[in-house]
Amino acid sequence: MEFFVDENDRVDGIAKVTGKAKFFAEYEVPGLTYGVLVTSTVTKGKITAIDSKAASNAPGVLAVVSHLNKPSVAGYEQEGGSPMKIFYTDQIFYNGQPLAIVVADTFERATYAATLVQVSYAKEDFNTDFEKSISDSTVKKLQGQTPYKRGIEDAYKTAEVQLEQKYHLPVETHNPMELHGIIADWRPNDQVTVYAKTQGVKATQNTIANVFKIPVDKVQVNSEFVGGAFGMALRTWPLEIATIIASKHLAKPVKLVITRDQMFTMVGNRPASYQKIGIGATKDGKLTGITHTAFGQSATYENFTEGVVNMSKFMYQCENVNTNYYVIPLDMGVPIWMRGPGEATGAFALESAIDEMAHALDMDPLEFRIKNDPEIDQVQKRPFSSKYIKEAYKLGADKIGWNERKNKPGSIVDGAWQIGYGVSVGVFGAGRGRATVKGILKADGSLVLQSAASDIGPGTGTGMTLIASKLMNIPVGKITFELGDSSLPPAPSQGGSATLSTVGSAVNDVCVALKATIVELAANANMDATANFVDVLKKNNLAMIEKTIQSSQNNPEAKNYSMYSFSIHFVQVRVHQLTGVVKVSKIVSVGDAGTIVSPKTARSQMVGGAVGGIGMALTEEALLDHRYGRYINNNFADYHVPVHADVPEIDVIFINKPDLIVNPMGAKGMGEIALIGFSAAVANAVFNATGKRIRTLPITPDKVLEA
Amino acid sequence: MSELDPNAAGDTRRDFLKKSSLFTALTLTPLTVLKAADQKVDERFAEMFEKIPLNLKVNNKPYTLKVEPRVTLLDLLREQLHLTGTKKGCDHGQCGACTVHVNGQRVNSCLSLAVMNEGKSITTIEGLAKGDVLHPMQAAFIKHDGFQCGYCTPGQIMSAVACIKEGHANSKDEIREYMSGNICRCGAYPNIIDAIQEVKEKGTAL
Amino acid sequence: MINFQYVRTSVVKTALGLIGKDPKASFIAGGTNLIDLMKRGVTAPDKLIDINYLPLKKIEEIDHVLHVGALASNSELAENMIVKDKFPLLMLALQAGASAQLRNMATVGGNMMQRTRCAYFYDTTMPCNKRAPGSGCGAIGGYNRMHAIFGASEACIAVHPSDMCVALVALDAKVVIAHTKGERKINFIDFHRLAGNTPEKDNNLQKGELIVRLEIPLNNLNKNFHYLKVRDRSSYAFALVSVAAALDIQNNIIHTARLAMGGVAHKPWRLIAAENFLKGKNPTVANFEEAAKIAMNGAKGFGENDFKLKMAPNSIIEALTVAKAKS
Repeated sequence: MEFFVDENDRVDGIAKVTGKAKFFAEYEVPGLTYGVLVTSTVTKGKITAIDSKAASNAPGVLAVVSHLNKPSVAGYEQEGGSPMKIFYTDQIFYNGQPLAIVVADTFERATYAATLVQVSYAKEDFNTDFEKSISDSTVKKLQGQTPYKRGIEDAYKTAEVQLEQKYHLPVETHNPMELHGIIADWRPNDQVTVYAKTQGVKATQNTIANVFKIPVDKVQVNSEFVGGAFGMALRTWPLEIATIIASKHLAKPVKLVITRDQMFTMVGNRPASYQKIGIGATKDGKLTGITHTAFGQSATYENFTEGVVNMSKFMYQCENVNTNYYVIPLDMGVPIWMRGPGEATGAFALESAIDEMAHALDMDPLEFRIKNDPEIDQVQKRPFSSKYIKEAYKLGADKIGWNERKNKPGSIVDGAWQIGYGVSVGVFGAGRGRATVKGILKADGSLVLQSAASDIGPGTGTGMTLIASKLMNIPVGKITFELGDSSLPPAPSQGGSATLSTVGSAVNDVCVALKATIVELAANANMDATANFVDVLKKNNLAMIEKTIQSSQNNPEAKNYSMYSFSIHFVQVRVHQLTGVVKVSKIVSVGDAGTIVSPKTARSQMVGGAVGGIGMALTEEALLDHRYGRYINNNFADYHVPVHADVPEIDVIFINKPDLIVNPMGAKGMGEIALIGFSAAVANAVFNATGKRIRTLPITPDKVLEA
Repeated sequence: MSELDPNAAGDTRRDFLKKSSLFTALTLTPLTVLKAADQKVDERFAEMFEKIPLNLKVNNKPYTLKVEPRVTLLDLLREQLHLTGTKKGCDHGQCGACTVHVNGQRVNSCLSLAVMNEGKSITTIEGLAKGDVLHPMQAAFIKHDGFQCGYCTPGQIMSAVACIKEGHANSKDEIREYMSGNICRCGAYPNIIDAIQEVKEKGTAL
Repeated sequence: MINFQYVRTSVVKTALGLIGKDPKASFIAGGTNLIDLMKRGVTAPDKLIDINYLPLKKIEEIDHVLHVGALASNSELAENMIVKDKFPLLMLALQAGASAQLRNMATVGGNMMQRTRCAYFYDTTMPCNKRAPGSGCGAIGGYNRMHAIFGASEACIAVHPSDMCVALVALDAKVVIAHTKGERKINFIDFHRLAGNTPEKDNNLQKGELIVRLEIPLNNLNKNFHYLKVRDRSSYAFALVSVAAALDIQNNIIHTARLAMGGVAHKPWRLIAAENFLKGKNPTVANFEEAAKIAMNGAKGFGENDFKLKMAPNSIIEALTVAKAKS
C-alpha cells in the first residue's frame, strides 16, 4: 500500500489503522492453549491447600499448575531472595497474587475452570494502609534514597516568608489499553519462544534465560507492537514466568491474557505518596530554603524506589536544600515506574508549593519562577548542556493568554463557572545509553535498519527512519526499521525517555559509517564522492553493504554538563461553583527537548502526556479497601482515565534548538516531561480560579466542593 | 430469525444433557453422561451437546459455525476467526476497544454473545478498507496521527465512522461526547477529533 | 463463566412460558449488564432466553401517551423524533448514560433492570447482602462515596445507576408488565424498590414476568427542562448525583414542577415535596434554593458520601436554574 501524505506520518500507521498490526496475543501458534490465573483472595498468609480436582475434570482442561506440581525452574531452586519466585512459594504477599494457572484448549473453558479451583489459606494480619502507616511508628520505613543536603538544613524555617505543606497522591495504575500477558512456547529441546508485551525484548530475553538457566540464545522474544505500557512492561512479571512454566510443564504453547482487574494488582502501579515541603523566601521573592521529605509505598517481598525528590534539588536557585525519601513496605503488589516516574510525583508537590509561595508573596508565579531560575546545576556544580526555559515560559504564556490571568484568586467568573490559570514545570534527565544498530544499504535504493529496540507508542521506527532519511537522503518510504525481536542487535529497554537519544545515536553512527563506505567504494570505482549510493553499489557489483555499529556513549564533553529535558505546562480551568466540577479548558505545553526529530509524533507525545496529566490531576485513583486489602475500583468504569470529553484542544510548542552535547542529533527525550508537572499546573489553576488549594490528588468534584 | 426450538432445548442443564443423550448415537455410554450431569463435576461431554449453530457474515464473508453460547462476539472474532484487529481492552464494555458494527450500528463486541448475532452482518476494522485503498477515516487517522500505540485505534476508527453516520459529528464538542466510549490511554484524543472532523467536513460517503 | 443453554423465541407467550418453567433461567436483551455480571460470576443463569426477537420495539404516540416498547434500544429512544420534540428531558437523560455503543445495545427494559454498580456487589469475595443475602454490607464502613443518601437501610446502601430511569420517574411513566395470565400496569415510581431488608430485590417485577412497554403521558414539560449529571469525568461515568428537572412556567409562575435525582438512592428518587413547594411560585433562585432544602429532608451520609449532602441540593438549584433559563 502506497500511502504517505507526508513523510512525518508513522511508518506503522497503515498496520495500525487496518488492524494488521499484531500485538502479542494475536500470533497464531499451532496447538495454542489458553491459560487463566487463579489469584489470591486473601492479602497475607500461606496457602494450605489447592483443590484442583473439579477444575482438572472440567472439559478441555489440560493442567492446573501451581507450586504443588510445577516443573523444575533451575533459577528458582535456591530459596529466598528477590524477585518473587512464582510457584516456588506458598506465601501470600498481596491480594490478587497469582497462585495457579489453569490451562485448557479454549479461553472460555480455561476461564470457567479457573473458577473451580479452591484455595485454602492460613490468613495473617496485613497492612495496606499507606496513609495510616506514615504516622504509625510501628510500621517499618526504609530509606529510599541517600539524604541530600546543600547549605543549611531546614533553612526555610528561618526565612522571611515561610510555607510548609503536605501533599498526597493516591495509587495510580498504568492501565495501557492492551491487557498484559504472554504467549509462551517451550520446546522439548529447551528452547523457548515468547510473544511478549515488553518495553525491552533483550531484558525479557535475559530474565527468562536467567530464571530457567538456559543460554540466552535459546530464548527468542518477539514484541513488535506493544499496546501501550507507560512503564509497566519494563520488567518481566511473575505471570509471564508462570505461563512459561505452564508451557514447559505441558510441552504446549500457552497464551495468557490477564483481565483488566488483574491489571490493578500484578503488574505494578505508581505508588501512593505523601510529601512534605517546606519553602522559605525573602520578601522580594528569592528562595532561601527548600526541604522536601517524601514517603512512597513499596512492597514487602520486593522493594521499589524512584526519584521523587530529585527535582527539588536543582530546579530552582536556592543555597539551602535538603531532601529525604523513605518507602513503606506494604502488603500490596510491588510498584513500577509509571510515566514520568517519581519526578511526576515530586513535581506535583514542588510545583504546587512554588505556586503557594508565589501567592504568599503576592507575585505572579511565572515571574517568581523566572526570578529563581538557576544558571547552573547546583547539585553537580556544572552548567546545563542546554536550557531554554525562560524562552519557553514566554512562548507558553503568550499562547495561553497569561496576561488574562489575575493574581487574585476567584477574579474571573463566567456564569456558574470560575476561570483560572496555572503553570508548572517538568524536568527529566536527558540520558543516553548504549545501543547497536545494523544497517543494510541495498542497491535497490532501500535501507534496512535493525535493532532490538521497542515501540510502546511514541513512534520509535518513525523517529529512526527520519534520522536515517535525513542523513542518507533516502526517502522515508525506502527505509525500514526493524525492532521488537531479541535476535536483532541489542538495544536497551524503552524507558526513561532515552530511546531516541540512545538508538537514534546508533542509527546516526551506522548511517555515517555506511556513507563513508559508499565514499570509499565510489573512489574505488573512480566515481565522484557525491555519487548516488545506488550507482556506486551497482558499479561495484554489490547488491548491498552492511554495517553494525555500537553507538559510542556520550561525547567526552558530556561529563562537564548536566543534561535535562524541560517542559512548561500552562492550563486554563473552569470550575463549577455549585457542583465542584473542574474542566480543563485550554492547554499549552512547551517542550525544551533539543532538536525535534519527528515533529508529528513528538507533538503527539506531548499531547498524550497532557492527557495523562489530566487523569493524574482530576480523575485517577486506585482505591483499596484496607479491611480486605482488595482494590474496589479495579475496572475502567470506576478507575477513571480521561475520555474524549475531558480533553480540550492542546497546543504544543517546541523550542527545537539542538543540544549536541547529548547526542549527534541534538535531540533530548520527551516521554516523561510531557507528563511531569502537569498535575500541579491544574491544581494551581484550580486555586487561581477558586482560591481553593487542593493538595490531595485527584481533584474530584467532592474535594472542590468541600474545600 | 432462525428459531431455536425452545421446547426441545429443555429445562435445566441436567435435563438438557439427559434429553440430548437419548437422541444422540454416541460411543459414550449415556450413563456416564448422566452421571456427569447429575454431579456437575465433570463436564467433559458437555461440548457435543452445548455448541449451537451460528450463521453470520463478517466483512461480507458468510460463516457457518458451531459455538458455545458463552462465547462472546469479540472472542469469536479474535480466537476462532483470527480477526484480531478488534481488540480486547477490558472485556466489560468499559473501554470501546472491541467496537465493531453489527448491522451498521456500533456495539461493544465483548458484551455481545456470538450466538445473539445469528443472521447479522458484522463489520470489523479488517473490513473497512477496500482492498489497498484505505477508508477515509483510516487515512485521516494517519494524517492527524490519531494514535500512538495503536491498540485502541481499530475501536476508535469503527466508532468514528459510526459517529459521523449517526449524525453526531457536528461540532468538536459533540464528537468528543459521542466518542467518549472509546478510551485512548496514550492520549491521542485531540488528533482523533481532528481526523473525524476533517472526514465529516469533506462529506465523503462513508 | 459456566456454559449455559441458549434459546430464542419471537413469541412473548413462549418467552413467559420458558421463564416460568426454569427458576435459574434469565431473559437476555441487550446483555450489556447481564453478560458483565456473568463474566464476574455475580450471576450464573443456566439458561438464557434471548428476547431480542420479541415484537416489543415500537415507539409510538397513542391518545396523548407515548408507548415505548421494552426492547427499543436506548439510542433509538434518544433519537426518536417524538421524544426529541415532546420529551427532551428523557432524551438528555438517555444521552447522559453509558456510551454510544452501549446505548445501541442496551434496551429500555434492560436499563430498568440493571443492577447497582456497588463494588462490593461486583466482587464476589466481599460481603454484599444484595448479591449474597445475609453476608453483610461491605459499603457500610467501607468505600461508599458513590452510595445512597436517601432511603438506605442497614442491609444495603447501594444506588440504582440508571439515568434514563431518573427522567422516567419524573415524567410519571407507567410500566406495562406481561405475565402468563395477561398484563398489569404499575407506576414507574413503584417499579424500583428501596433496599429495606430485601436488597436482593431491586424492583417489583415478579419471577416469570416481563416488561413489555412504558407509557409516558404527554405533558407541557418540553420547554424548561434540564438533566444535570455530576460525575468524576465529563462522560462515560456513573453519576455522583444527577437531577432531572422540568418546569411548566406560565406568566412567570410555575404551574408544574418535576424533580427527580439519580445516584442518591436504591431507586430513582422523585422529589415530590420540593415539586409541591415550587408549584404556584415564581421561578426564582431563592425558591429553587428553598426547594433544594426541602428535597434534602431525611438525607443521611455514610462518611465518604457526605459531600452529596451539599452536592445534591446544589445540583438541584443548578438544574432548575438551567431549566428556567431555556426558552
